[in-house]
Amino acid sequence: MDDRLRRLRAADRLRAPQVIEALLPTFVAQHGDRLLGDDAALTAGFGRTAENLGLAVLGIDRGTDVASRRQKNGGAVTVPGYRTALRVVQHAAKFQLPVVSFINMPGADASPISERFNQSQAIADLIAAMGQLTVPNVAVFLGEGHSGGALAFANANRLIMLDDSLFNVASPEAVAAILHGQQTVSEAIDLLPMTAADLQQRGLVDTVIDHRQADLVAVIKQRIVTAVNELQSLSPVELIAQREAKFQAFLAQWPIN
Amino acid sequence: MSHYPKKGLWTACPACGRHVHAGQWGPWQQCPYCQHWQRLTAAQRIHQLVDPDSFQALATPERPKNQLGFPGYTKKLAQAATISGLTEAVVTGTATMATWPVMLIVMDSHFMMGTLNTAVTRRITTALEQAQVQQLPVVLVTASGGARMQEGVYALVGMNLVLAAVVRLAAAKLPLITVLTDPTMGGVSASFAFKGDLVLAEAGAKIGFAGPRVIQQTMPVTLPPDFQTAASLYQQGAVDAVVVRPDLRDKLTTILAAYQCSGVTPRG
Repeated sequence: MDDRLRRLRAADRLRAPQVIEALLPTFVAQHGDRLLGDDAALTAGFGRTAENLGLAVLGIDRGTDVASRRQKNGGAVTVPGYRTALRVVQHAAKFQLPVVSFINMPGADASPISERFNQSQAIADLIAAMGQLTVPNVAVFLGEGHSGGALAFANANRLIMLDDSLFNVASPEAVAAILHGQQTVSEAIDLLPMTAADLQQRGLVDTVIDHRQADLVAVIKQRIVTAVNELQSLSPVELIAQREAKFQAFLAQWPIN
Repeated sequence: MSHYPKKGLWTACPACGRHVHAGQWGPWQQCPYCQHWQRLTAAQRIHQLVDPDSFQALATPERPKNQLGFPGYTKKLAQAATISGLTEAVVTGTATMATWPVMLIVMDSHFMMGTLNTAVTRRITTALEQAQVQQLPVVLVTASGGARMQEGVYALVGMNLVLAAVVRLAAAKLPLITVLTDPTMGGVSASFAFKGDLVLAEAGAKIGFAGPRVIQQTMPVTLPPDFQTAASLYQQGAVDAVVVRPDLRDKLTTILAAYQCSGVTPRG
């Protein structure tokens, strides 16, 4: 496997639950979508930072060993996960809590059961709800995030990425696959803008964090708080408009003809 | 693969493989042997749905471009244009259906499998905005394999941008009727396809997020024959109705009559 991908998928990679624990000394977990079940890959809930800032969080974790990876489906979020996340963001809007999502996932789940429960609808509902949030939201890429499944957690006012993380329409493996093996997976990473540096240069990503820092979690926390504070002055209408304008500005880089 | 070769009157049915004469497909493009519904072009679909001569295309200056220099994409775009006769994978315009005015958005699988890219995103969002200007209900016919990988995250953000436009259409209290046709998969399925006030599925259509090939790469499973079909989605409560092609115009007309949206500029 490509070195860059191995790092993102390594067992000792910084994980969403670790960041959430450090970020929110007071934390209340929310579990389950009330209809189908719970998603072990998702750490979700709300709480308060040491400085008493109220936040809601959505964290996706791939697991660290065979057992936990199986339990968490390798971070491929399932329908109950999207619908639990939907509950959490609706709750966050009700109590005026900014939403922070942490992403490291291979993409959406490919399975008969996810299709049976219409994961298309579940993903679409979460993308739309994140876009219409009346409170600030910030997405933090701790690893990789691909396809609509990742976008559901990344439709945010601010995007933060660790410098070695990736965000793309499809995994590097899927990009290599459409080229019928003419390019390796490593080469595929460089064929499309999916690295943090490239996406920051293109204006989609606001903040890139060097993952090699000793106090990485503290830095991530500080960047989140800064982003949330910048957004607190915006009205609900302005937050929704800023979010769409951000992605429109990115699209606008692509010439019309 | 084009189902409509420039030369020759015989084509193989993609479902049963039998050779079918052009005349045998009939007006609804159905295989006389296995009853498979051939995928329609946007032009055929529009012709079947709207009042004669009522379709007025919106201006669509958006052209696809290999902005990221993705290998082979420039050639694929040229081939898609030749095969489909289109400049992109969606056609938009106003029309009347049994005199009811409507904004029509029709995707075409013959152009790079109807994939969602920057140009398609712009065309769809422009049509949704224009529907608000003219106070028109929207009929959106999907036919897409998902987001177009060759445009990377630029294609992916089409999902949230079209959804944002759909939310504005809803705020304007204008109906959105989506018609899911073969295929409706991936990023199109997981964004606007199921966000209609009413969601219709064309009989025989395959609709889902991850297709059988992707699922079977992940896990060794045998999928039922009706997996991701319009009929099974209806049974599972994912769509309001399964409609056979010859009934689609009447079904949509009934829906438009029930909503009674007359638009602000009388047309037709």
